[in-house]
Amino acid sequence: MTVDFEPVDGITVCHCDMCRRWTGAFIEIPAKIGSVSHDGPVRAYASSAQVERAWCDRCGSTLWYLYKEGETRDYSFNAGLVDGAGGLILTREDFIDRKPAGYAFAGDHPRATEAQNDHALAGSVEGACS
Amino acid sequence: MSLSGHCMCGAVTLTAVPKAPELHACHCEMCRRWTGTALVEIDVAPENLTARGPVKTFTSSDWAERAWCDRCGSTLWYKLTLPGHEQFSVSAGLFENAGGLTLAKEIYIDCKPDGYAYADAGARKTLTKQEVEAMYASFGEGETG
Repeated sequence: MTVDFEPVDGITVCHCDMCRRWTGAFIEIPAKIGSVSHDGPVRAYASSAQVERAWCDRCGSTLWYLYKEGETRDYSFNAGLVDGAGGLILTREDFIDRKPAGYAFAGDHPRATEAQNDHALAGSVEGACS
Repeated sequence: MSLSGHCMCGAVTLTAVPKAPELHACHCEMCRRWTGTALVEIDVAPENLTARGPVKTFTSSDWAERAWCDRCGSTLWYKLTLPGHEQFSVSAGLFENAGGLTLAKEIYIDCKPDGYAYADAGARKTLTKQEVEAMYASFGEGETG
């Protein structure tokens, strides 16, 4: 699998229950809409009506979280796909109150709770992580 | 202590008895590409892991395989397949609150990108690529995979 995209800015981490079960904690690089191309054996799972999560069908590597609204395709890529995580830094953690107690990421960046994330998402997504 | 867990979609269910009550994180390039940051895992002996459901595996080297749910793509485990040293490293995210365990060791710490880190690194053991591969060499292998 190869991917090509332009990052929005930094790295974000999602600790919601679905991301945690999927891939430990999803550490992602949001991509600019329209900047994405990829090549290779993709498999995807529709985790809700508007969301697909994809992986490499050969080796199982996590690829992306894709939010679909109308014709718009909003991708967030697994940061590990990019050499050195693209030199980007962790800028936000979501669903921080769902994070297991046994580890934490260092740094002074914004951390949103489930309630804050649900409020922010209510207008555009499903009102919960999916 | 026995842990019960499942993948994101619920098609794969697991029970595991940890070797030790701790989480480990691997920052090697293969684990990062596979699963993002580090594989945060729980070591489990082969006889102490049961898994049911659509498991798919990839042989990532002569001594290791990696498994995921073929329905939803959830990371399941890294398995060391070297005869006499078989062990599962099961993704901690499959278990509620990561089994209640605490991160106690980070390996391949010098392969971690600079842009993020686990907090309180001084509170746990860390091993470099060279240190890990010296340990594997003692098993008769030169590097991890």
